[in-house]
Amino acid sequence: MSDLAAAVPARMSRQSPTTESRFTRGVLIGVAIFFLGLFLLFPLLVVFVEALRGGIGAYFAALKEPDTVSAIRLTLLVAAIAVPANLLFGLAASWAIAKYEFRGKALLITLIDLPFSVSPVISGLIYVILFGAQGYFGAWLQSYGIQIVFAVPGIVLATIFVTFPFVARELIPLMQEQGTQDEEAAISLGAGGFQTFWRVTLPNVKWGLMYGVLLCNARAMGEFGAVSVVSGHIRGQTNTMPLHIEILYNDYQWAAAFAVASLLALLALVTLIIKTILEWRFGEELASAGRQGDIR
Amino acid sequence: MNALARYRVETDRIEADVAAVTPRVSGRLRGDPMNVTVQDLVKTFGETAALYGVSLDIRGGELIALLGPSGSGKTTLLRLIAGLDFPTSGRILFGDEDASTKSVKDRNVGFVFQHYALFRHMTVFDNIAFGLRVRPRSQRPSEAIIRERVLTLLDLVQLPGLDRRYPSQLSGGQRQRVALARALAIEPRVLLLDEPFGALDAKVRKELRRWLREIHDHTGHTTVFVTHDQEEALELADRVVVMNQGCIEQVGSADDIYDRPATPFVFDFIGDSSALPVEVRSGQVYLDGRPIGIDAGGEPEGPATLFFRPGHVQFVNDDSGGIAGIVSGSRRVGDIRRVELEAGLVRHRFEIDVPADSQAPKAGRIAVKPTAWRLFPKDE
Repeated sequence: MSDLAAAVPARMSRQSPTTESRFTRGVLIGVAIFFLGLFLLFPLLVVFVEALRGGIGAYFAALKEPDTVSAIRLTLLVAAIAVPANLLFGLAASWAIAKYEFRGKALLITLIDLPFSVSPVISGLIYVILFGAQGYFGAWLQSYGIQIVFAVPGIVLATIFVTFPFVARELIPLMQEQGTQDEEAAISLGAGGFQTFWRVTLPNVKWGLMYGVLLCNARAMGEFGAVSVVSGHIRGQTNTMPLHIEILYNDYQWAAAFAVASLLALLALVTLIIKTILEWRFGEELASAGRQGDIR
Repeated sequence: MNALARYRVETDRIEADVAAVTPRVSGRLRGDPMNVTVQDLVKTFGETAALYGVSLDIRGGELIALLGPSGSGKTTLLRLIAGLDFPTSGRILFGDEDASTKSVKDRNVGFVFQHYALFRHMTVFDNIAFGLRVRPRSQRPSEAIIRERVLTLLDLVQLPGLDRRYPSQLSGGQRQRVALARALAIEPRVLLLDEPFGALDAKVRKELRRWLREIHDHTGHTTVFVTHDQEEALELADRVVVMNQGCIEQVGSADDIYDRPATPFVFDFIGDSSALPVEVRSGQVYLDGRPIGIDAGGEPEGPATLFFRPGHVQFVNDDSGGIAGIVSGSRRVGDIRRVELEAGLVRHRFEIDVPADSQAPKAGRIAVKPTAWRLFPKDE
């Protein structure tokens, strides 16, 4: 008995093959935390410190400035159009890809990823080339008095392009994994197409869908490159929050720039928190989507 | 083990309740038995054919099993009857009515999926009520009637009190019961089950088998189920349809299938059997040029395959014909001992059964003569 007791701790103290020594572990964790702090946390902290440098009053005054209000409004408007548009597209695309077999399916999946592989500048440029004054449809649009580039429609289009994949990429693996049995069951019980979608398909993917919408929204509000190309930077008219921050910064209005920046940073934090809650509560359901490669 | 124990206790406890409600249930749920006729059904998926011209008459109120190995087309046939797939050619009749072009939505069939396909975000109650709630407003019963019906069905499937649970909180056997209740809720004309017990462990499977038979006898639905488990098919079904490679090999009762297999495949697939390549010459059966003392009956001359079951043999004196083999091994199978033998120069393997308490022959020569057998002429 005592022999056994002596033998067991000796064996237990041996490390598992994948565990390094205490020192190595400490160094690795330390390096990770150091870099995380230096490159992520510190800048984020600076944003809030700089924003509040002039005091709370100055902070809110900067946010109430008309051009800033207009930028916030435009950003919300763009997100309010782009996110539902991509929600609809994402649902349709993932439904089609997961539940049906058709020619060109692989091509469609590849195309959905295109916005991730293309530089945002190019995404913006496409619309200038298409709809700009010298573009393919420029003259035709002008004859009807429709302005797309350097106006809100262009910003919306560029944002939709850039945020295209978020919802679809989240839902495709989820729906593929779930297969069509639930839908078949619903139809065999007499449900119509819409009833099946509304009562069975949608509830089955709702958390994945929310996750995708969340990421889509964060990107829609934060997009700079593509929007910058098509916006024209007209103050109070075509400036979104990220563009407005750049302008304020270039004008040496540091406090105002950081005040607006703090709003965007806050949005990022809220997104992160909701994302974490979703992952924590519905991790299993989201796992299949995450496995395919977290897009961000 | 724990879940099973709990499941059994639950079953025992509610058995009495069920007995009390059963008459009421049967009166309410009993539908008019519907004949289903399948005519020359062909189904191809791209280049590959899954069914080659299958015809079958299913009588109203019958419990029928589609039995076959995987890839035999049994699930395809079931899905065609349900309307979850459409045939390449051929017809399906429900009663006298041609259902071939109707979608599954309009066929009014109860389909139980192999993995149940319960709606995971709905409670047991909502799952069962689903088929009633999605009806057009004019045919939709009131919530009160839906509620009564769902609770009645929960009694019928012996799951009273579980209406607020979610599918993830149920055991496999309970999910299966909910799936069946959900299918029965729409008052289907035909009940179709795809491998209904495939995902359950052996013990629960046996209990549910008996229970499904009872439900069927109560409700009187025409019921078709798919299985690859011959024991399940033979025990449960009124008639068994043995399928192989997209064709029906034989349709018949358990006795027909077991005692009078129509084809070599059925003989081989159902139960245990040995097959020996023999030759029919002038009314006698020869193995490796030796007569084995079996009368060929009316079988045509030429090469043939002799089938017999391990239990259907008697020992004979080696010199007086019979199939002589050298013992190559033996093993205990349930109540009997199965002895493996090798016959003739090319060592054809065959098996015979001896009583378990008899000394297992370790080696040596044994000669046997089948007491019941079938000869099938070689195809070529």
